[in-house]
Amino acid sequence: MSGARVALEVFAKDLRLDLRSRDRLGHMAVFALLVVALISIVVPASKPERLAWSPALLWVVLLFTSLLGLARSFQSETEAGALALLVQAPVDRGWIFLGKAGASLVALVGVELWAAILFAVFLDVDWSAAPLACAAAGLLGAIGLAAVGTLLSALAVGVRFREFLLPVLLFPLVLPILVFASQITADALAGREVSTQLWWAFSLYDWVFALIGYFVFDYVLED
Amino acid sequence: MVSAAVMLSVAGALAWLLWLTGDVGERIATTRWVGAVAGVLIPVWLLLVYYAPIEIAQGVIQKIFYVHIPAIIPTYFGFVLAALGGALYLRARDDRWDQLAVAGAEVGVLFCSLMLVVGPIWAKPAWGHWWVWDLRLTTTLMLWFIYVAYLFLRSFAFGSDTAKTFTAVYGIAGIAAIPFVYFAVDLAQGSTMHPSNPAREGLPPEMGRTVGVGMVTFIWLFAWLVAKRLELAALQAHALVASRVRSA
Repeated sequence: MSGARVALEVFAKDLRLDLRSRDRLGHMAVFALLVVALISIVVPASKPERLAWSPALLWVVLLFTSLLGLARSFQSETEAGALALLVQAPVDRGWIFLGKAGASLVALVGVELWAAILFAVFLDVDWSAAPLACAAAGLLGAIGLAAVGTLLSALAVGVRFREFLLPVLLFPLVLPILVFASQITADALAGREVSTQLWWAFSLYDWVFALIGYFVFDYVLED
Repeated sequence: MVSAAVMLSVAGALAWLLWLTGDVGERIATTRWVGAVAGVLIPVWLLLVYYAPIEIAQGVIQKIFYVHIPAIIPTYFGFVLAALGGALYLRARDDRWDQLAVAGAEVGVLFCSLMLVVGPIWAKPAWGHWWVWDLRLTTTLMLWFIYVAYLFLRSFAFGSDTAKTFTAVYGIAGIAAIPFVYFAVDLAQGSTMHPSNPAREGLPPEMGRTVGVGMVTFIWLFAWLVAKRLELAALQAHALVASRVRSA
């Protein structure tokens, strides 16, 4: 079985699991709804202030929401010794990383679309002002969160205090994603030109962490 | 001159630590010489701090600079050691590299904490705020968070080999993130109130010399602390083996 085939199988298995149990997606959707509703109550009522705060708030909401999903990314593998069987696949384990990160990416893109609807409804954000730039920032943000989150989620499996540890490990490493994504979203929504450097740096960060995840995943699953 | 001494000290301390890691048991005696170098440098640096001219605008509080600025070198040094030791551990599965990585991270966090604590003590009278949105402040705090998380991971991971592998992976990921953390805040127009490196080179000679001697002192103090941490790890490993032999 080729590596790409294993990645596809893992990807399809995780997606099937998400769609059948609906636990991961359902919990993230309800959490995002709750947080955005709370934000809409506590942020100032004037529209310019709301719009100024929205890009940063959106990405903070997405970070916390994605944490819920990423924390469960390896939960299914820990049950009934599934992880021990998964690592028996006769391929480079980097492919398993790609499969799992891919499934998390799809879940995160779904959550982003949901959060975008919530921000449009509760905070009056007009995404039609710059749909392509916002979508591209969303996709790059989801790729970065999925890459870093999948790697760290695998590290945190079986570690004591994992609920505490995962955010402590994740937040400092995803800070650039938050900064790049919220800056691009803010610039695009305000009609300002988004710096080319920002796009390159964002893409490079995703690429670096996807590569690190691919190459070190073998060591992570080995133990 | 000062920059050359700092670069030579970093290269010398790195070469010595790598050599020491090769056989801590046999080579640990050399630690006393490094300790002696640090022991001579510390009073010289303190005297230079005492006699350095008092800055007119800021007064005596400016002398915090002589602790704050030199602490950055061992901070970066420690985190580079954590990544380097981690990568070498993953490649060779040799516990000695893991011990070097953990020692580097622990002592690096110590110097980073020192820098983050003394900075605001100076900033309050100088800027009027303990903390401001500033490029270097923000990135240094993130750096501190990354390596404190590294130490948490180390203490929470079960089983020795798992903990070693996990921290090696996180140490490598952490060092890869640092340029991006810096770059990200820079691109987000995070203004900085800190001077640039060329501005520091332009300090009056007495101040520049004091900062330079402080950097060299901190580098050798850092190397000594890392060596003592390596010695402690070697003793712990020895005690573990002895207790297993006794119980067998």
